[in-house]
Amino acid sequence: MTTPETGSRGDGLPVVSVRDLSITFPTADGDVHAVQNLSFEVPEGGALGIVGESGSGKSVTSLALMGLHRGTRAQISGQILVAGTDVVAAHDRDIRAMRGNDIAMVFQDPMSSLHPQYTIGDQLVEAYLTHRPRAGKAEARKRAVEALDRVGIPEPGRRINSYPHEFSGGMRQRVLIAMGLVCEPKVLLADEPTTALDVTVQAQILDLLDDLRRDLGMALILVSHDLAVVAGSVDEVLVMRRGVAVERGDVRRVLGAPQHPYTQQLLAAVPRVEVTRAQRRAQLRAEREGRPAPAAVQEPPRAADRDGEEPLLSVRDVRQRFRIRGGLFGGSTDFYAVDGVSFDLYRGETLGVVGESGSGKSTLSRMVMRLLEPTEGSIVFQGRDITHLPERKMRPLRRDIQMVFQNPYSSLNPRMTVGESIGTPLRVQGERDGKLIRSRVQELLERVGLEPSHYNRFPHAFSGGQRQRIAIARALILRPKLVICDEPVSALDVSTQDQVLRLLAELQEDFDLTLIFVAHDLAVVRQISDRVLVMRKGKVVETGDSDEVYENPQHPYTRQLLAAAPVLDPDEARAHRAERRRLRGEQGEQPAVEVV
Amino acid sequence: MLRYILRRLGASVLLLLVVTLMTFVIFYVVPRLAGRTTEQLATMYVGRAPTEAAIQATIERLNLDQPLVLQFWEFVKGIVVGAEYTFGNDVVQCSAPCFGYSFQTYQEVFPAILDRLPITFSLGLGAAVLWLVGGVAVGVVSAVTKGSIFDRISMGLALAAVSLPVFFTGQLALAFLVHDWDLFPNARYTPFTEDPLAWASGLLLPWMTLAFLHAAQYARQTRAGMLETMGEDYIRTARAKGLKESRVVLKHGLRPTLTPILTIFGLDIGLVLGGAVLTEQVYSLNGIGRYAVTAIVQSDLPVILGVTLFGAFFVVLCNLAVDLLYPLVDPRVRTAR
Repeated sequence: MTTPETGSRGDGLPVVSVRDLSITFPTADGDVHAVQNLSFEVPEGGALGIVGESGSGKSVTSLALMGLHRGTRAQISGQILVAGTDVVAAHDRDIRAMRGNDIAMVFQDPMSSLHPQYTIGDQLVEAYLTHRPRAGKAEARKRAVEALDRVGIPEPGRRINSYPHEFSGGMRQRVLIAMGLVCEPKVLLADEPTTALDVTVQAQILDLLDDLRRDLGMALILVSHDLAVVAGSVDEVLVMRRGVAVERGDVRRVLGAPQHPYTQQLLAAVPRVEVTRAQRRAQLRAEREGRPAPAAVQEPPRAADRDGEEPLLSVRDVRQRFRIRGGLFGGSTDFYAVDGVSFDLYRGETLGVVGESGSGKSTLSRMVMRLLEPTEGSIVFQGRDITHLPERKMRPLRRDIQMVFQNPYSSLNPRMTVGESIGTPLRVQGERDGKLIRSRVQELLERVGLEPSHYNRFPHAFSGGQRQRIAIARALILRPKLVICDEPVSALDVSTQDQVLRLLAELQEDFDLTLIFVAHDLAVVRQISDRVLVMRKGKVVETGDSDEVYENPQHPYTRQLLAAAPVLDPDEARAHRAERRRLRGEQGEQPAVEVV
Repeated sequence: MLRYILRRLGASVLLLLVVTLMTFVIFYVVPRLAGRTTEQLATMYVGRAPTEAAIQATIERLNLDQPLVLQFWEFVKGIVVGAEYTFGNDVVQCSAPCFGYSFQTYQEVFPAILDRLPITFSLGLGAAVLWLVGGVAVGVVSAVTKGSIFDRISMGLALAAVSLPVFFTGQLALAFLVHDWDLFPNARYTPFTEDPLAWASGLLLPWMTLAFLHAAQYARQTRAGMLETMGEDYIRTARAKGLKESRVVLKHGLRPTLTPILTIFGLDIGLVLGGAVLTEQVYSLNGIGRYAVTAIVQSDLPVILGVTLFGAFFVVLCNLAVDLLYPLVDPRVRTAR
């Protein structure tokens, strides 16, 4: 294999070539055209990013590249050539010879993409022996260990005998990449490889893919809904929308000077970590009032320190202990999911809570909601200590504290109409007048951007973004003072995410809401928060005014998080990557963040 | 791992104890709650000739005049270490596990059960192999060829089979396969050690009858499980590696599907080993199930009690076996416990 000198663009022949590809799914309601007349090619050692929102056809396309459309109802026309194999016409046997050998695929969800009942060694060895049947088991095992070592699994010789559940998500994604590597394919196809992962882990995986591409001369096809994820890793971008390629070109050109309105719209929706809270606010306000966004903004200095004012919510040194069973005689060890967190929250403010999985941010919000009783510390809401309030006394207070959850697909009861779901809190709080409930619900449906006539529909008729609007309406029906949003947009596409964030900002003004906004995405948090808590392993590592924390992070972990956040400018992304490599070099070979 | 085994073992012993307690309550306490006096209760355990002396002897023998706790203690003691009964001047040793004597035959219950055990075992194990292999095979093929003629026919048959009781299918098989068409020999038990061929041919029909019902259930379960598993992400990963479809199905798809089936299999085989009542009755095989039926007809309480406990013992034992096999089948259990 030849590695291109510059590494930025392969000049060889195309290793993947797609011509006039159309994929259609016949359904009872007529044909669904998932992909239409798509053409692109990837040169040897090149890298292509395919970007689009859900329903854009990007995943269908990547499955078709692997020939995985076979056996489904998909009807395919056009031509796909992968390393000389005609994927549309070839015999099943030739497709199998191509899969894993010429082109390997890494999937979105590392938690479910490995077989839970076989060791990772078994699964890697199997991949190798499928294409090199004459190599012995010992040889295959040696290759597997090499591949695991290559992707940065510590102690690969020992870990090869572990089962998938003994690894963290990021490590599993590394294992899947290693599995793709064992036969040294010419193309690595990664479909949303980092969507299920934390920011720092995402950065590590993207860096790894970049390294592999450079060192092994593989071509890379990176599929994502997020332009910022592909920006630093590819040479060329293909933007898809509803099965059609709307724009294709050099990554710098597409991101720097997008031609198609959809690309422009998509770019505008990407939350940017460098935009300050004040700029964002001014921009939103201007848009609402229909005037152009001001070029420079000077946020009026906030009412200094709010000395006289009593905080709406005051949290002091809360801890939440979980017992982990273990030990020979059923003994248990204590584990503090939240360990000594304090903050004050004033009326009308937004507090952003940032952290990765396991940081305790969700546990914290559940304690404030009093879905969990804190083990230690105190929570004072509107001057009243609610730390250990029994549920009976807590119930009237629930009117004032509401929550919006992460997954809009599972947090709405599928057997209740949307109107009933939104109206339930009113009923629980004792409202009996059905007509009044109905009119209030419909009013609110309109306010969150839906139709009053949606009252009688069931949740399955709505998209993810619409469902999150419904969830927001349900949280607002009681006119609460405090709303806790736990990762409210992390399951949504970028443009939907942007719409929901705008809605939240508007509602905050109109309803005079105080918000706690929990998220792992730094850029999203910055746009919406006045102040930020950065959490790690149950503790607050840094807190302060959001712009200050973002502009001038004090704690190394905050810096690490910021360096890991994806950015849209390809050159800046590469600079960040270099910075991460340097940081990692300082810390020793292995990434320090992940521990199983 | 050792801890897991010990915990499972402990739980099984506890479960057996609870079953014993419940059996004791049903046979000794419930009659009292229903208003029976000690004498009346004793009469139930005397047998056919309830003379005054016999009743008194029974009261003493079973400690019916003692407090319930002591009665239970003696009951359990009899099962664990055996008991000595006095009949007039004779002292009879009833060795552990002692479930007492049959009123009808004056035989000790436990040895009588042991005598019939090979028949029930032969019937149960043979049928279990048939239904497991047959049911799973049909289920897998059905799932893989979902919507095909084979799938529709086999699932239709399975639905019918699940709803047909053994005394119906068994009689049907006897009437046509044995008497009218003479395709099968009539059911007959020959010990395996005497003549393996005769053993197998004599049991073939009962095996098939018993297996039919269960195989249908297993086929349906396997098909449903397989369809779910084949939609998992790791199946897509396996295909993306370039594996043959047969290997994807048999290696990657089947194993997760079999995991829950193992649990049901443990329960079912335990139940069958405790006595395949209907099948043994239909084919006149003198196994434990038939022993129980005879005892029930004749109100032979000690036998009923013994068979109940014995059956419970097998269910618990087979469950224990499944629990211990589980970590081998699903590695996640090893670290989770």
